[in-house]
Amino acid sequence: PEVSPSQMREELPPMHEYIRKLLYLNLNKQPVDKTLRQMRKLNWNDADVAAYAVKCMTHVWNVKYLNIGFLASLLAGLAAYQDAAATQVADGIFEEVRLGMEMNHPKFNQRRIAVVKFLGELYNYRLVEGGDIFKVLYSLITFGVSEDQENPSVLDPPENLFRLRLVCVLLDTCGQYFNSGNSKKRLDYFFVYFQNYYWMKRSHPMWTEDNPFPLGVEYMYRDTLGTLRPKMRLHKDVEAAKEDVKKLQEKLMAMLPKEQPKEVAAGGGG
Amino acid sequence: MKSRPAKSAPPTPPTKVVIRHLPAMMTEETFIEEVSPLPKYDYLSFVNADPELGQFAFSRAYINFCNQEDIFIFTEKFDGYVFVDSKGDEHSAIVEFAPFQKTPKKANRKKDNK
Repeated sequence: PEVSPSQMREELPPMHEYIRKLLYLNLNKQPVDKTLRQMRKLNWNDADVAAYAVKCMTHVWNVKYLNIGFLASLLAGLAAYQDAAATQVADGIFEEVRLGMEMNHPKFNQRRIAVVKFLGELYNYRLVEGGDIFKVLYSLITFGVSEDQENPSVLDPPENLFRLRLVCVLLDTCGQYFNSGNSKKRLDYFFVYFQNYYWMKRSHPMWTEDNPFPLGVEYMYRDTLGTLRPKMRLHKDVEAAKEDVKKLQEKLMAMLPKEQPKEVAAGGGG
Repeated sequence: MKSRPAKSAPPTPPTKVVIRHLPAMMTEETFIEEVSPLPKYDYLSFVNADPELGQFAFSRAYINFCNQEDIFIFTEKFDGYVFVDSKGDEHSAIVEFAPFQKTPKKANRKKDNK
């Protein structure tokens, strides 16, 4: 068959081809520890090899979606020996999430889904902390977001519901571990803000009887929250969601240390 | 072999900074040249742009500073700083605390006997 120009790929150096084969082909069909052994044998002192391996592990959308967890497992095993590589992959993943929001182009949707799925798996394999996950969760519902319908956001326009999906994918992947102590509370707090974000989207006047809010998105949202907090009662409208945010903010404000240094007194040493 | 849960470490003040939206064609050498002299740091990593991203292909760099005070001076100077690439195109950089604050450990890294 003829090969169209878009299918032609520039020829890669053999070492690059080998790394791609290990990560994008072998990982699908052989046990992770076998690939891990081969990855460990790479010449990590060669800056080009190391950078290419990091790049391929960051480009997680080239891995079969169902096998993304394997790549996280591989990286966790590798981190014991190549700590720098693991750090750089994690850095790259956070950058992908952010850049995805800045570009916000449907062409990259599949890529962005794979990235947050991988991020969740990095948490499951203890390569990133809970705090890192919450930073991303909050960024997804706040970065460039506008609650003012008169001034819709460019980065997160009303009709764009993709960030809801990203939050759900991330929570579906690792939310189950936020189930006790501090992390449980953190997730409960996040749900207050997430419900508010959901209702901000859903209550937008652009959704009408003729152009209803997509059922698929609603089900996905209910599914994620319902699975993680089966007893939680979801808000039924935007007012209730807003009210809940207000209540939580008041509660958190009250928890702040009472004796805040006054601005005037700051230099006085009172 | 999922190994969660583990206790997370108590938070420490952030010291790792990311410099984003650098010109795609920039090299590590040019970058270091342009931001020199740098205050004391113990980690620097430069990442080349991903050409697949077209107009959103940017290089970026991570620096872990040793002293908190230096960060504010660095950020003040380079957040919004305009880097000019070899073609004369201008790129306004963004300096922020890196969302992921970990840096690789040097001292107790296991030697891989493979």
